[in-house]
Amino acid sequence: MNRRSSGGSEPQWEGASTGSPDAGASLAANIAAEVTAFAHEVGSCDPVTVVGAQAHWDVGGTPLAGTREVRAPAGVWEHEPSEMTVRCGAGTTVADLSAHLAQTGQMVPLDPADDAATVGGVLACGFSGHRRLRYGHVRDLVLQTRHVDASGKVVTAGGPTVKNVSGYDLARLLVGSLGTLGLLAEVILRTLPVPAASQWLTGDGDPFAAFDLLYRPSSILWNGSHAWILLEGDPADVAAEASKLEPAGFAPCDGPPPIPAVGRESMRPSDLRALAGTGGEWLAEVGIGLVHRHEAVQAAPVAPANALLMDQLKQRLDPDNRLNPGRRPW
Amino acid sequence: MSTASPVGEPSGTAGTFPLQLDIDSDTLASCVACGMCLPHCPTYRVTGEESASPRGRIALMRDVAERGEADEAFVEFMDACIQCRGCETACPAGVRYGHMMEVTREALASQTGYQPRLRRLAYRALGMPRLLGFGSRLLGLSQRLGLMRLIGLLGRARPFRQLGAMTASLPRVPVRQSPLIASGDDVWLFTGCVMDAWMRDTHRAVQAVIESTGAGVALPPPRASCCGSLHLHAGLASDTRRLARKVMAALPGEAPILIDSAGCGATMKEYGHLLGTEEARRFAERVQDVHEWLAERVDNLPSAAPGANGSAPLQIAVQDPCHLRHVQQAHLPVRAVLSRYFDVVELDDDGLCCGAGGAYSQQHPEVAGAVRERKVAAIERTGANVVASANPGCTLHLRAVGLDVRHPLEIVAEHLSAREA
Amino acid sequence: MPVGYGRVVASEIEGAADAALLADLRGVLGDRARDNDFERGLYSRDGSIEGSSPAIVCLPTSAADVAQIVRICRQHRRPFLARGSGTGLAGGAVPVGRPVVVATSKMDRIIEVDIANRIAWVEPGVLNLDLSRALSPLGFHFAPDPSSQQVCSIGGNIANNSGGPHCLAYGVTTAHVAALEVVLPSGEITVFGGVDAEPPGFDLRGLFVGSEGTMGIATKAAVRLTPNAPTVRTLLLDFDDVSEGSAAVSAIIAAGLVPSALEMMDQRAIEIVEAFAHAGYPTGAAAVLLVELDGLGGGVEAGVEIVREVAERHHAGHVRVAADDAERALLWKGRKNAFGAVARIKPDYYLHDTVVPRSRLTEVLEKVYRIADAYDLIAVNVFHAGDGNLHPILAFDRREPGVDERVKAAGRDIVAASIEAGGVLSGEHGIGLEKRDYMGMLFSTHDMYTQDLVRETFDPDGLANPLKIIPTGSRCSDSFHQHVPEGAWV
Repeated sequence: MNRRSSGGSEPQWEGASTGSPDAGASLAANIAAEVTAFAHEVGSCDPVTVVGAQAHWDVGGTPLAGTREVRAPAGVWEHEPSEMTVRCGAGTTVADLSAHLAQTGQMVPLDPADDAATVGGVLACGFSGHRRLRYGHVRDLVLQTRHVDASGKVVTAGGPTVKNVSGYDLARLLVGSLGTLGLLAEVILRTLPVPAASQWLTGDGDPFAAFDLLYRPSSILWNGSHAWILLEGDPADVAAEASKLEPAGFAPCDGPPPIPAVGRESMRPSDLRALAGTGGEWLAEVGIGLVHRHEAVQAAPVAPANALLMDQLKQRLDPDNRLNPGRRPW
Repeated sequence: MSTASPVGEPSGTAGTFPLQLDIDSDTLASCVACGMCLPHCPTYRVTGEESASPRGRIALMRDVAERGEADEAFVEFMDACIQCRGCETACPAGVRYGHMMEVTREALASQTGYQPRLRRLAYRALGMPRLLGFGSRLLGLSQRLGLMRLIGLLGRARPFRQLGAMTASLPRVPVRQSPLIASGDDVWLFTGCVMDAWMRDTHRAVQAVIESTGAGVALPPPRASCCGSLHLHAGLASDTRRLARKVMAALPGEAPILIDSAGCGATMKEYGHLLGTEEARRFAERVQDVHEWLAERVDNLPSAAPGANGSAPLQIAVQDPCHLRHVQQAHLPVRAVLSRYFDVVELDDDGLCCGAGGAYSQQHPEVAGAVRERKVAAIERTGANVVASANPGCTLHLRAVGLDVRHPLEIVAEHLSAREA
Repeated sequence: MPVGYGRVVASEIEGAADAALLADLRGVLGDRARDNDFERGLYSRDGSIEGSSPAIVCLPTSAADVAQIVRICRQHRRPFLARGSGTGLAGGAVPVGRPVVVATSKMDRIIEVDIANRIAWVEPGVLNLDLSRALSPLGFHFAPDPSSQQVCSIGGNIANNSGGPHCLAYGVTTAHVAALEVVLPSGEITVFGGVDAEPPGFDLRGLFVGSEGTMGIATKAAVRLTPNAPTVRTLLLDFDDVSEGSAAVSAIIAAGLVPSALEMMDQRAIEIVEAFAHAGYPTGAAAVLLVELDGLGGGVEAGVEIVREVAERHHAGHVRVAADDAERALLWKGRKNAFGAVARIKPDYYLHDTVVPRSRLTEVLEKVYRIADAYDLIAVNVFHAGDGNLHPILAFDRREPGVDERVKAAGRDIVAASIEAGGVLSGEHGIGLEKRDYMGMLFSTHDMYTQDLVRETFDPDGLANPLKIIPTGSRCSDSFHQHVPEGAWV
């Protein structure tokens, strides 16, 4: 467990109690202190940006020059395997989180291209990994967030349990907001069992037909001529599904080539077919509609009514435009 | 798509009138408004309106029972119920909706002008076999002579509008029918009113199937002609009681009384409750849907013909009449009998009503038509080419849109006679 | 206070305002705008125990209708709220402030099933189970399956971010909605989210799902299709001790299994359900677990073995594996009708919905029984044990004097006990009216202020389903107060 020392002032909000009363209370106090310290660091006046691993530093524009940099707390704070939840600081690297969870056979399939990326960074970008086809969008892995808002106060959204519809879903709003509405301090994520078996296959068969053939594959990547398919689950099931793919021209392999990490082109899953025969190096997620490219991609425009709402949200939640100035998620 | 509305212009400001609803408060309170009945209510399905749902109607009954007064809107909402009782099957709380609706209709009929004089007379005619027979022959003749078109034209004029709508949807009625002939006294076959006048060949087929098990069939005298089912639904319970006593007197002894019309069976099984006498209770216990009786003797039925006489095999979709499925819970025996001879395919609509509802389709053609569209779509999804329906009302209502609908035992009888030939 | 179907008599001024509003709405909807007393009464309640009469009931048939209604309401500065099938349990569809009810039940078309993109475009009035049934021949279903799925509407599911037994493995509604066509409180029509992989900008779609109609009215949704599992096994485990049952729940999850559903019922629930469903539930048992595993054959069969092992370790009486689809359907019929079936003991029920960590289930359940006893109420427990989602049902008869106060006090205590154990206010029913005033148990004033800022962005005039979710006093913009008639429950 990687726990930072408590940073000075007393916790400023209620909540955060699990486990036995004493241990629970001190743990809660420690976590609260970490978050509070981060809130103090963020403060309430000057322009500020939160720095993770800078794995996607230029997404939505780089922060304006001279913006003060802060780092979110790091550390896996609470993990109860039978609850299938984990609480960690937003500054925790995905590598650290994964290593911690692996000890009890669990995972959070964030799957960033570079696992030095921080949990907060992945969520702020809202970038799902290559296994989204099976495990869903990263925002669906988030149960609770604590963020520091423009006034330097801590805001809790969502709840610590695996299921929760208490109040407005600000946690989902923060995912993909590039830290422009608030800076993530702490998150509680849903964990999953690491699948017993896992197998990549590759070949030049039709990936769309393969998608229809399989029951919930974990990933289907395609570069226009070849496809890489990830099967996960019970060993017998993986073997059976793999054998269905063999006649379609797929054979086991170690894994896909590195996924281009610069541009993410978003389209409808059915529109991917039209990419066949187009040039360039790209890797597309079949069933999802995402095309990874080595070159930057122009984001699609936002409908005027939505753009107005987004502007107004930003205006209300960060009236002085001090959170990550220079960035804009649309 | 929901288009039909059970009500016209809402009459929120219309005058109220006193109405005593004699439903006890425990019964009224038994609905917790969970809404599980909504998708099983045909009128809610096609209108999407609370006032056309069982939950809504019970709430309205509660309101009226508490206040002791009602208005025209209330009457319209109550009248729009088909009384299929699909909601009762769906209700997790076991609410006796059918009973509540019968009490409400009876209160309306006895305390208000809910059933106008003309309509009461029409219902009364059902209990008069000679008049009914004469009227039917007249109707059959008119249809053949093209006089119906005239009535249809007349129907455009306001006073005859309802008559026009009714006549347009009537089936082709036979002018002459040969009589049924009794063959013994093991069971009674109840022949009824409209069904005997219009669909006697169905009875003939049913009788043949019963006889094929080796049983002899007794037939009631003409005076036991109407079970009173339609009257009960119209709130004319006293007429039903009067008819029930006639029917009971005409079918003495201990022999089972077999019914081939789901609506009649449902009502006759209720005679005990309706008349409250020991005699009526004993009589009601003798009443069985003909399929229930046959299902217990399915091994006595002739075996299926080998090779299905060369023609394409029948794909039979079973349409469960509400009063068989939701009231008598006797829909499974229909399958027990049919599946001895045919492949039976099920509809995927949880036994939702077809919209016939006795006289309902005549009185509310628009809603009944919209409900029927759902049923037709469900039948089409099965790909079946024949529909089996054990109720004359449903049969006529579905035939009116060109479906090949037959009584289950007509299909069986045809198969058996082909087998002999 | 519950007002049942009673009427709130409008003052003369309100009457005149209503008449002018009705005239404008009739101009758009004709006789699909209703103001008669009976129908206003019918739309005064949902599945909860609260009630308050609307001014007018509208039955739109298109998004254009809805947009017109919203615009007219704005002109008259009158609140409006959407209503699906009216089965919500938190009072989210209870009209407060003499509003216009926008019933979406006539908007019930499945517009398009798009297999290539694995989505279906539907209108909000489509019933949840109707959609899954329509998809079934194609090998798909809509994953959220609330117990009321045969009657609840997709629009209602979106408003409440509904769950259901199978959300343990598949996630709640928000994970299954790709895009939404929404009539904003301004009357403008827009689309949130998209069928494409990563729609740009803030996730307005995610924010809208679960906002209980306070950010506008959804008029169309692109919902995700989930493939039907090739293998499904349903097991029924009975225990003569509730705590063994709860311990088995944690043990199943700890063994690395994610069942597609993991439900628990206590003794009283078993008896009630069996009386309705005749599914062979063991009426003598203290608790049963209904466990469903789905997926590919290998994993499912391995899972069945794990469940058997856990059952043995925790002294389960029997392990019954449903032999076929019919037996499976019967078991689920019992489970999904449990709430309505409570009427077999008392004519009214108050169904709670809180979530606690799985490890605290036994402890909180015991508290629930103690609380019910203390208030002289009957508690029945049927719940999604797999995700710790408790559904204590308090059965009562509202005709007993003073019972409402006892029921509400007990409800509050149950919520407090759940939160004390590290839980949340609601797992799937939402906040609505019922839990609005409990928000402070879970959130700080600043948390709620922030939530209200977000709500206000969408609806600065506070006309969209006012007085729901956020307690009054979180903000100063309570301009809608003037519409609340004397005596209405707020």
